[in-house]
Amino acid sequence: MSKPRVAIFDFACCEGCQLQIVNLEEEIIDLVTLVDVVEWREAMSEQSEEYDIAIIEGSITRPQDEERLKEIRERAKILIALGACAVTGGINKLKNNFDLEDVKKCVYGKDAAMPHLDTAMTKAVGEVVKVDFVVPGCPINRAEFAVIVRSLALGKTPVLPTYPVCVECKMRENGCRFEYDEICLGPITRAGCDAPCPSAGHWCYGCRGYVDDPNVNAAKDILEKYGKTIDDLKSKMLLFNSKQEPTL
Amino acid sequence: MSVKKLDKKALNSWVESLVAGQKVFGVQAKGERFAFAELTDASALRLDYDVTMLPPKKYFLPQREDLLTFKRSGGHESVIECDPFVLLGVHPYDFVAIRQMDAIFEKDNDDIHYKARRNAATIVVCDVQNASENVFAGCMNGAVVEDGYDVLITGIGKDYLLDAGTEKGEALLHGVGAPDARAEDMAERSKVWEANKAALKKHELKCAPADLPKLLGSSEEHPVWAEKAEGCFSCGSCNLVCPTCYCFDVQDEIDWNMDSGRRYRCWDGCMLTNFATVTGNHNFRPKVEDRYRHRYYRKGKYIPEKIGEISCVGCGRCITACVAKIANPVEIYNRLLEGK
Ligand code: SF4
Ligand code: SF4
Ligand code: SF4
Ligand code: SF4
Ligand code: SF4
Repeated sequence: MSKPRVAIFDFACCEGCQLQIVNLEEEIIDLVTLVDVVEWREAMSEQSEEYDIAIIEGSITRPQDEERLKEIRERAKILIALGACAVTGGINKLKNNFDLEDVKKCVYGKDAAMPHLDTAMTKAVGEVVKVDFVVPGCPINRAEFAVIVRSLALGKTPVLPTYPVCVECKMRENGCRFEYDEICLGPITRAGCDAPCPSAGHWCYGCRGYVDDPNVNAAKDILEKYGKTIDDLKSKMLLFNSKQEPTL
Repeated sequence: MSVKKLDKKALNSWVESLVAGQKVFGVQAKGERFAFAELTDASALRLDYDVTMLPPKKYFLPQREDLLTFKRSGGHESVIECDPFVLLGVHPYDFVAIRQMDAIFEKDNDDIHYKARRNAATIVVCDVQNASENVFAGCMNGAVVEDGYDVLITGIGKDYLLDAGTEKGEALLHGVGAPDARAEDMAERSKVWEANKAALKKHELKCAPADLPKLLGSSEEHPVWAEKAEGCFSCGSCNLVCPTCYCFDVQDEIDWNMDSGRRYRCWDGCMLTNFATVTGNHNFRPKVEDRYRHRYYRKGKYIPEKIGEISCVGCGRCITACVAKIANPVEIYNRLLEGK
């Protein structure tokens, strides 16, 4: 069997998730032994016309990016969205809370009207093309990424946890952030990160997006028990879950 | 078997000698709460703790443990880890839970992984000195244990009684140069037990635990299940922190060489959405309500039918751990007693 050809592309993002792949360190060697990386701007200059697996990092924020993404989709057998920006739109969706003209003026000032600075509302990759698999998180968890790649190489369908962050948080024996008078998004956020934030004494920001079927109503109901308001909750959800449907 | 009486200083030297000679896991502070962790400094031991966040089951059924290693090209080998260790400071309710787990894991297929860890352990139980905010072990026959432990520590006034219940326990106390407890010390211990039975009742179950299977037998359609399920996140916290929850999931993981790999198990919980999902993606408890009800049936009916004991020991951890504050077994059982 020939090795699967993999190409990695980035759109609007900080490239932090690609950096997580680079940070696999010695495992990178194993990775490239298992697959053929045929295109990866961050690490090589070659380009390729065809790939078995296309990995997309970043959100789609310009009309021309939509075209580029559709072309990639046509050439790829499997398309994977990598990281919060690609999977849900992530932080980039903060922009969608405002008027587009105001956003342009705020960021580019007097140059806002220049054609090369044209911008649109942020879309997740899945809002433009069909996505086969997702690797959530800001940034991704590289161990999870490695497991997903190895599953695919084996012909197994990778499965993400369908339970919330609280599971991993409890397994690490943390005191709950709610007991510290904080709002934590753990109960409605998909696990798989091993709960690094609550384990470091911080609430979960929800960077991995909603768990399937999140009980957002319950989240609203418990606010009263903890002396919080809906606005407190909304402000916590803004960063990673702006303009998200409550499903991934 | 003997009961020794130690003052604080003698107890501390005994713990020091334990720590110096073997692997010891003891209760220590973690943030503002408590957790079992490896004890390397005797002075970090906190026998005055109220409750640990996770029960000591993590030493017999770890959060994640390898069961076997395999090669796709052929062959597999069981992984069994069993370095001897001392578990120091287990509260009676948690010890009752461990004995229930022993009964469960012995049934049907003997679980060799559990058994190896269990046989490697010497368990030092410690009577509760400070009640946690939600404990109700006093209602569930979990406030005190009178046998089965390797060693039992009871604080009486300024002193401690150390009672060796088994040969293993006797060996652990070997060389402790302390006097034997006198009759009046034993009477003091009985007082502590009586006091704990009354004090560890922050919630009051309005029936005998033995009545629960029958009560549940006629409560399938009670409105409380749907009502409470509305607030449930399916987060499984109530399962994970429970000393009698033992469910696990089994997964395979392949190495980069696409040949070698391992089969591991990790904690699972019946409150999690896909707990009951089987081949073909069929979930036989798809509704939160079904899962929510199941947990109480498990504790109050299904397990008792298997081992003859209610499988809630009243540690109160689920009550504290549930963010939505809907996981209190006493509240639910009392509500069922009301009928509607
Ligand atoms: S998900 Fe986070 S780390 Fe990854 S590219 Fe986007 S901003 Fe960077
Ligand atoms: S800290 Fe957050 S993730 Fe952890 S148990 Fe509490 S709500 Fe869940
Ligand atoms: S704990 Fe929450 S914010 Fe932190 S990595 Fe996990 S999902 Fe992201
Ligand atoms: S059901 Fe709750 S109170 Fe009962 S043993 Fe489990 S965690 Fe403790
Ligand atoms: S801890 Fe509470 S919210 Fe979480 S699954 Fe249990 S009952 Fe539901």
